[in-house]
Amino acid sequence: MRVVVCTKQTPSTTAVITVDAEGKVSWDDPGGKPNVVNPWDEYGIEEGIRLKENHGATDVIALSVGGEDSKEALKTSLAMGCTEAVLVSDESMVGSDTLGTARILAAAINKLGDVQIALFGKQAIDGDTGQTAVQAARKLGWTPLTFVSAIKEVGDGSIVVERMLEEGKEIISAQLPVVISVVKEINEPRYPSFMGIRKASRAQIPSWSAADLAIDGGIGAGASKVDWSQVYGIPPREGSVEIIEADTAEEQARILVDKLFEEKVI
Amino acid sequence: MIDFTLDEEQLMLTNAIQRYAEERVRKVYRDAEEEGAIPDEVIQAGWEIGLLPSAVPEAFGGFGDHSAVTGVVATEAFAWGDLAVTMSLLAPGAVAIPVLKAGTDAQKEAYLPLFCDEKMPKIAAAFTEPDILFDPRQMKCTAVREGDQIKLNGSKSVVPMADSAETFLVYANFEGSSQCFFVPAQSEGLAVGSREKLMGLNALPAFRLTLTDVLIPAANQLGGEAGIPFDLILNCSRLTMAAAAVGMCRGAFEYARDYAKERVQFGEPIAHRQSIAFMLAEMAIDVDAARTMVWEAAWLMDQGKGITQEATVMKHFVDEMAVRVTDKALQVLGGYGYIREYPVELWLRNARGFASLDGLAIA
Repeated sequence: MRVVVCTKQTPSTTAVITVDAEGKVSWDDPGGKPNVVNPWDEYGIEEGIRLKENHGATDVIALSVGGEDSKEALKTSLAMGCTEAVLVSDESMVGSDTLGTARILAAAINKLGDVQIALFGKQAIDGDTGQTAVQAARKLGWTPLTFVSAIKEVGDGSIVVERMLEEGKEIISAQLPVVISVVKEINEPRYPSFMGIRKASRAQIPSWSAADLAIDGGIGAGASKVDWSQVYGIPPREGSVEIIEADTAEEQARILVDKLFEEKVI
Repeated sequence: MIDFTLDEEQLMLTNAIQRYAEERVRKVYRDAEEEGAIPDEVIQAGWEIGLLPSAVPEAFGGFGDHSAVTGVVATEAFAWGDLAVTMSLLAPGAVAIPVLKAGTDAQKEAYLPLFCDEKMPKIAAAFTEPDILFDPRQMKCTAVREGDQIKLNGSKSVVPMADSAETFLVYANFEGSSQCFFVPAQSEGLAVGSREKLMGLNALPAFRLTLTDVLIPAANQLGGEAGIPFDLILNCSRLTMAAAAVGMCRGAFEYARDYAKERVQFGEPIAHRQSIAFMLAEMAIDVDAARTMVWEAAWLMDQGKGITQEATVMKHFVDEMAVRVTDKALQVLGGYGYIREYPVELWLRNARGFASLDGLAIA
């Protein structure tokens, strides 16, 4: 059984994001690590590795669409324990919306061949759309299993998973192949081991272009259905502090409750 | 000219350790200090990063060669998280690296694979002695040859994880030089004493060890009859301890710096006051200077050079630097620095130990 884990490079969670007057977004990180593997994807990577360790997966292939810097995310995936990594990179892909990205990923997964499970984090922390996994499933013609919090069983061409929904949890089964998006409750991602790091630093990561793939549909900024018409920074929230003065604590509490009612907080 | 650029492997490794230190160690270290125990899962996650197997050749179950530079950059990242966790994780190296550097082929085959296992091996180095005039080159613990056996007598202190160790590597004065010997924990005459009550490092389980006419086969001497190049082992240990001091002091500096920028007094952050800003600047200078000395000594070691002079100068500087920096961190926090809810008092207590602790850990 071959497993693909889709991952991407995103700004770090501690990065300070700046938007200039023209709407150009940039970021830096006080810790000196501005880009990281999308934190949600780490759960997908960990689950892929566990499918190899516990459910007989033969290959766990990390897959990313992006520029050369995306190789960092792929190297982290290899260092954690993925067996292979592939970068899909082409100028024509720049500016793709989630549907375009899903088309590219679906074509790459088809090219890898014999894949039974494609894992995604539930969303990326930059765009925060959470759409790519389902759109990739649609393009592949596979069953999408979203918000998965546990993989219970895999075998005989089927899979049983637990989904974490707002109303509760549900256990469902599906025929392979499937696309799975995972939530953080599914596991605790491991840290890259030094042995993995050594393998990753020596790995040659193949880079596929658009010409290497049979992409079904438009990609890139020209085909994007999403128009980023205006990008701006959120003005800092303003607040004020009022110290409640009274002779007794009870009186202070009464005034506080009245004010909270006035503000419709309670 | 020395190049201070870390290679890709070292950068990825330090990033992984720094994340471990932030996400796992910093969440538990204060409770661990108060309770005297580090959660097993935190130690296991740190062990799984696999620093030690990277120093062990493939023939013995590892995947590389020892690099002192990699060891010190990794140690700094671990110690930024917590010193007790770092010493717990790197204590097995105080056995593994001496075996790697000086062991006979049979000893390497017998012991090195233990350090490449998924679980931390139950083996500890017994180096320090409970003596106010302790000199690593003139140990009071003695080893005397008796036919084809060695008889050991003496006391050891601050032996990490001695309560669970199955084997000890005991350092002793043997025919005028410091040598070391594998001693099974069940040996007659060997006793693990009470847990040490230290000024800091309370989360590290460390014990007294007494040896009374303990007899072991002469073949248990590390390095066989040739013995060990003791200065090399001591220098390895001093590099690790100094790198740990740099990591801990970097943490103390960063904490004090951030506090000073946020703490508003008299209408402005206290970092704007020269008395505070100068202290922070001196702390940063101290930490950077110490790191440079550690890296230079480690780089020289990796070139196969003797570093006794550099390691001695480094140790002298770093031991005092650690107290200076952590004391200033406490001073920046004012009265809060003296309260146990804040970490700086722990770092100051830990810092005082560097002058006394040798042989505790090697990376």
